[in-house]
Amino acid sequence: MDAADFANLLVSALLLAGIYAAMSVGMTIIYGVMKIVNLAHAGFLMLGAYFVLELYERLNVDPLVGSLLAFPVFLVAGMLVHWLLVKRIPVSDQPTLASLLLMFGLWLVLQNIGYLIWGNSDRSILTPRTLSSLHLGPITIPTVRLTVFIPAVCSLGLLEFVLRRTWYGRGVRALMQNRYAGRLAGIPVEKMARLTFGVGIGFAGAAGGLLAQLYSFSPDFGHGFLLRSFVIIVLGGLESFWGAAAGAMVLALVETFSILVLPAGYQPAIAFSLLVLALVVLPGGIAGIFAKKHRWA
Amino acid sequence: MPPLLSVERLNKYFAGLAALKDVSFEVQEGQICGLIGPNGAGKTTLFSIIGGSVSPSSGTIRYSGKDVTRWKSFQAVRAGVARTHQITRPFREMTARQNVEVGLHFGRGPVSRSPSNEVTAILEGVGLGHVAGRNAASLCVGDQRRLELARTLAAKPKLLLCDEVCSGLTETEMNEVLELLRRIRERGTTILYVEHNMRAIMSTCDQVVVLNFGQKLTEGPPLKIQNDPAVIEAYLGRTAAN
Amino acid sequence: MRAASVQMGRFLNYRVAAWGTTLIALGILPWCGIGPNLTRLLFTALVWVITSVAWNLLGGFTGQVSFGFAVFYGLGAYTAAIGINGGIHPLGAFAIAGLVAAIASIPIGLPTFRLRGPYFAIATIGVSEAVRVVMTNLSFTGGASGYRIAEHGPFRPLEHYYTALGFAAGAIVISAWIYHSKFGLSLQAVREDEEAAADIGVNPLKAKLIVHLLAATLTGIAGGVYARYAAYIHPQGVFAFHTSVAILLMPIIGGAGTVAGPVIGGFVYGLVQEELVAAFPQFHLLLYGALLIVIILFEPRGVVGWLGRLWAFFERTWRKSAATSVG
Repeated sequence: MDAADFANLLVSALLLAGIYAAMSVGMTIIYGVMKIVNLAHAGFLMLGAYFVLELYERLNVDPLVGSLLAFPVFLVAGMLVHWLLVKRIPVSDQPTLASLLLMFGLWLVLQNIGYLIWGNSDRSILTPRTLSSLHLGPITIPTVRLTVFIPAVCSLGLLEFVLRRTWYGRGVRALMQNRYAGRLAGIPVEKMARLTFGVGIGFAGAAGGLLAQLYSFSPDFGHGFLLRSFVIIVLGGLESFWGAAAGAMVLALVETFSILVLPAGYQPAIAFSLLVLALVVLPGGIAGIFAKKHRWA
Repeated sequence: MPPLLSVERLNKYFAGLAALKDVSFEVQEGQICGLIGPNGAGKTTLFSIIGGSVSPSSGTIRYSGKDVTRWKSFQAVRAGVARTHQITRPFREMTARQNVEVGLHFGRGPVSRSPSNEVTAILEGVGLGHVAGRNAASLCVGDQRRLELARTLAAKPKLLLCDEVCSGLTETEMNEVLELLRRIRERGTTILYVEHNMRAIMSTCDQVVVLNFGQKLTEGPPLKIQNDPAVIEAYLGRTAAN
Repeated sequence: MRAASVQMGRFLNYRVAAWGTTLIALGILPWCGIGPNLTRLLFTALVWVITSVAWNLLGGFTGQVSFGFAVFYGLGAYTAAIGINGGIHPLGAFAIAGLVAAIASIPIGLPTFRLRGPYFAIATIGVSEAVRVVMTNLSFTGGASGYRIAEHGPFRPLEHYYTALGFAAGAIVISAWIYHSKFGLSLQAVREDEEAAADIGVNPLKAKLIVHLLAATLTGIAGGVYARYAAYIHPQGVFAFHTSVAILLMPIIGGAGTVAGPVIGGFVYGLVQEELVAAFPQFHLLLYGALLIVIILFEPRGVVGWLGRLWAFFERTWRKSAATSVG
């Protein structure tokens, strides 16, 4: 394999990492603040994909714009789901099985809604961008990957800005570290939780729209991405978005370069194995390792 | 005769912060040894290490002469070292009776021919006979404390680590518990006892170890400790000592 | 005190009688002219009863919710299938299937049991899916096209039925025995508070590994029994995520943590699901999802919990009327 091939794979992995990071953000923020493992994330990814598809096919709205529009729509939907379902289960500082099973039940319902409305055939979004590529010297990038990567990274940047510079963001970070103390400090926990759940679902919807431009989908879409999101959260540790970015990078690199050694059929097993490995070997995630290094300095 | 428990130069760091620094002391068999110190002095950490839930950064713990520094808590219980928790941890959806049964069947043993009678006796011994069939979650805090003690006693420890069994109890209740501890000691159990209530410590302990900021400040019989200016300063500040 | 223990004795005997009657009824049913379709449904329900009871040992009694039990079901199915094709007597094949699943449970359990609840659940998804992907690519077991069992002799539905009934009864007996034993007490303690359990003498990892092994064995046997009946298995079926889901839904719907709950769940799912999928195939995920949501929100103890509340309600009403009639 020569340098050009290597460079191509590397760029490919980088683009993939950006998208994976954007995809997992929704799950990370909900888990971080509410300690809920949102299995319905997959369902919302799927609905986001169909949302953007419908806007594109019926109203000719460019999928990138559609993804942008998906965010507020799904934010409201997420807040509704929280009000209807999530606030009725006991919360705690530890993830609970009740929340896991509740979200799982919701995912089943969302899948079925998908089947009822759209049937079970694979769909995809084809734009002129899908088939063209950019050439930067020896590197070839499918255009659509780049046009999806840019909004993904921008949304992450925006989220990071919100978390570091706004009142809401500070509240979210406080709740991620200690919910009880946050309540004592005067943070309106319930309202914050509702808004944050909405934000998480909003990101899921938007990410679904972005992913729809890269992959074909059907109502059980999101299944593989769920596990990948979780790998990223676990690899990245919980408190740090840089960790999540690092986690996304690791996953993307491993997946992309594994094609060189494994037959393509085994590829999905990589995320799964990496997940188990990460959970067992790195309980604090990559960020946890770095944090440890810091402490002795 | 070697001490039942020997703590030698114990250190524990949590992320760079020293919770325990170079702590050493001994507990003789049959003693009631008090462990006191202001909040944050490291008493519960020390208990967790002796009991096996946490491992120390360095140092040694010897039980009956054997090095048991890295044992796990269930191994400790089987060998006869059992602890109560400062904040009670009952098995909430199980009845009081079932809670005690766990201690009985998984402790040091041996279990008598009629375990259910034994459980009843233990529950009545701490004053919980009337609520044996109720879920632990439905008991009031005072009763949950008694249940914690009953459960630990059911494991038949040779060394009982008691973590603040008296907090939240009325004067009468406290006296009952202290009387219970004395009776346990008479039957051959050694007790290492963390407590904030000075009257409890002074009236029951044979010797007292004082911790402050993770280090051993001093140790000795209760009367000597009570008048030690360093101890007074640790609790009340320099002016009170003078 | 004596009156209470006599009452308890009567209560236990009543329970044993109830189970016994059910067992005998199920045993006689095929001879009462219920027809091959109902026999088939009951067979399916019984296989699901085995997996439900098995899953419940780990998920209900011990509180470790696994989303990946299909791995044991699939391993059992394939092992039994290969064994039967190789000429081994079916019962021997089932035993080996259970054994293989049991052995697999150890390397799966050891790393994952260190994880807290939901992390454990997700790790089990990872394991199960990884195995599915591998099996889909493995050529000597047929890969994605599946694997066929070629058995000589006619298809004897009653033989399959009674095999399933036998193993289901065995599973229930094991479950009941554990529930009332000191081991079961330790599992409950681990479920309530693992660290406090360790602090009182229970070895949580050992307890979990043992119960995991039992559960895996039973699930593997169930997979084998199903495989022999179906005579054709494929990774998209026996190793699928939706199979893991079915395996966990049943005991939760019926009532996790009890002895009867998973049995009820298995029957409800087995009998109803077939009809449901036939009549309303487009709604079945919705129904299960909605059912799960309703259970989590309103009656986490499942059908058994709901029946319990119903019984308590009637008891109160009956006692009130008895009191007023005396006064």
